[in-house]
Amino acid sequence: MWRVALRDLQWRRRRFVIAVLATSLVFGMTLLMTGVNASLYNEGRRIVAAVGADAWLVASGAPGPFTTSTPIPAAAADRVAAVPGVVRADPLVILHSTMRLPAVRDVNIIGAPPGGLGAPPLATGRAVAASGEVVADTALGLRPGDRIELSGRQLEVVGLADRVTYYFGTPTLFLALQDAQALAFDGQPLAVAIVTEGIPRGAPPGLEVLSNRQARVDLERPLASGTQSIAFINALLWLVAAGIIGSIVYLSALERQREFAVFKATGASNRSLLFGLALQAVVLSAAAAVLAVGIARLLAPGFPFTIEIPPQAFPRLLGVAVLVGLVASAAGLRRAVGVQPALAFGGP
Amino acid sequence: MAEMADVDIRDLTIEYASGGYVVRPIDHLDLTVQSGELALLLGASGSGKTTVLSALAAILRPASGTIRVGDVDVTGLHGAALTQYRRHQVGVVFQTFNLVPSLSARDNVQAPLWAARMPARQARTRAEELLDRVGLRERLGHRPGGLSGGEQQRVAIARALAHDPPLVLADEPTAHLDYIQVEGVLRLLRELAEPGRIVVVATHDERLLPLADRIVHLSRPVIGESRPPERLSYEPGEVVFEQGARSDLVYTIEDGEIEIVRQRVDGTEELLALLGPGRYFGELGPLFGLRRSATARAVKQAAVTGYTARDFRDLVGSARIAEAIRRASP
Repeated sequence: MWRVALRDLQWRRRRFVIAVLATSLVFGMTLLMTGVNASLYNEGRRIVAAVGADAWLVASGAPGPFTTSTPIPAAAADRVAAVPGVVRADPLVILHSTMRLPAVRDVNIIGAPPGGLGAPPLATGRAVAASGEVVADTALGLRPGDRIELSGRQLEVVGLADRVTYYFGTPTLFLALQDAQALAFDGQPLAVAIVTEGIPRGAPPGLEVLSNRQARVDLERPLASGTQSIAFINALLWLVAAGIIGSIVYLSALERQREFAVFKATGASNRSLLFGLALQAVVLSAAAAVLAVGIARLLAPGFPFTIEIPPQAFPRLLGVAVLVGLVASAAGLRRAVGVQPALAFGGP
Repeated sequence: MAEMADVDIRDLTIEYASGGYVVRPIDHLDLTVQSGELALLLGASGSGKTTVLSALAAILRPASGTIRVGDVDVTGLHGAALTQYRRHQVGVVFQTFNLVPSLSARDNVQAPLWAARMPARQARTRAEELLDRVGLRERLGHRPGGLSGGEQQRVAIARALAHDPPLVLADEPTAHLDYIQVEGVLRLLRELAEPGRIVVVATHDERLLPLADRIVHLSRPVIGESRPPERLSYEPGEVVFEQGARSDLVYTIEDGEIEIVRQRVDGTEELLALLGPGRYFGELGPLFGLRRSATARAVKQAAVTGYTARDFRDLVGSARIAEAIRRASP
């Protein structure tokens, strides 16, 4: 009976095309939402990796290097360097600021000693070698040799780094430690963290060792409510998609009641009729899922930051879409099972 | 075609619920149709023609009685045996064709074959043979919307023959056709009734009478014969007539009291009227050839006189018939 189901799809193609379009938009949104969440996760992973540390030491009790409000003396790096397991230790300053380009842009700033840890992999140019130099994220549209002003300080762009953003695509500037200290601590020799090459087998008094994963968790914490909201919206979108598919299949089952009655009266099994309806739901969902991939790719560049849809999201969308289609068609399937073959005779 | 013996219906009573009441369109029906015959179930709307077809198609289960089609006790079929019977033993031509609008003529005929998991190529060949047989060779790819009423009816007949069943049922096959289309369909139905196959046609169209080997009248002629009134006595609790029974007489009450009750689906009764001497009851059934829609029962010892519908009309006059209908008791 699958042929009958497919012929019915052809017959009602206009309605099914509209349903596929509507559902694909919803599925496309879920893909984009998934991409947003993945981007937030990837940003955190990349920026922590860009620092190139094996461990992070922050003031005892501080939540982490990205959200701490308790600075530590930059000189603590020397004490940390002496801890067994540590090959190298450098102070790090992390802050959030703005600059004019000429419009005001939010930027993240990471300050580290030139030649030490905290210098990102470069796309072009060279690393910061002295005060007054900066490596900028390519998203800012700057080129080596450009000059920028940051809170009254003139800096020269000497290099560019790719995809070093965090907090919803906010680009990062990598400065010399003393420039960052000037911006964050009015020039005092302070830092928010000491980063190390090698994993310390203990922490000097007043400091606490964090792993890269803990540093990422610290970075992601302020975004938790946002990512949870996205997950909630995603769940709602799945419900909307289920509603569209379910109502289309239910409507089809309602309109085809006499057809089902005729099939039952002529010896078709309930199972074969259910298979036909379920097949329609699956075809609709799968077509919408495939179209959704195109829609998501089309819409993704329109977002203000890079949407990174993980490759596994596509097959997963297809699988979940088919599942949603089947679940959503339950009401229609129930309707089909309930049809009495006597209806084919027009009563009773 | 499977080997065919007779259709044998014995003491068939069919009831179903309608509007909260029990309706009994078929009450103690006996019918035998032999292989190669075309039987006509003739009657007005509501006389139970389609109900008998539904029971023959094993779609309605009777309240009592038996239906045998060859060696098969149709009333005892369940599960897979029921599906097999519907699939292979009986083909139905439904009243409004009931073709699937999304399928071409060929696919409509193929659909029952697909349901039986016949290989696609074989199903296609079979469907084309059948459509050729009903004269639709050139219309294989047309959907029902692109076919005339007569062509749709012929597709429906071809579909009914898909599994070459020994029993073909046709419900009002001429209902939606003009006289030119009727001719072709009648010829086709007559041809189907060949040795090894039985065709049962339900219709109210008396033009089909010459077609039939056997005719079953399911409703009595309205305003029938005249015969002397019958004077009848009933003890308290005795039934004058029962809901669902065939109507024959209109009664006037000479003495005693008669209650008119209607049986509900839950088994309880609803009192419709309590009638005394001088009142009449049971006039609608005989006047319109309908079955009794309620039960009449003596409350006290009662004496009634029964008139045929013709005599009752003569007795009260045409003008009072209208009045009788307005304040009718069943």
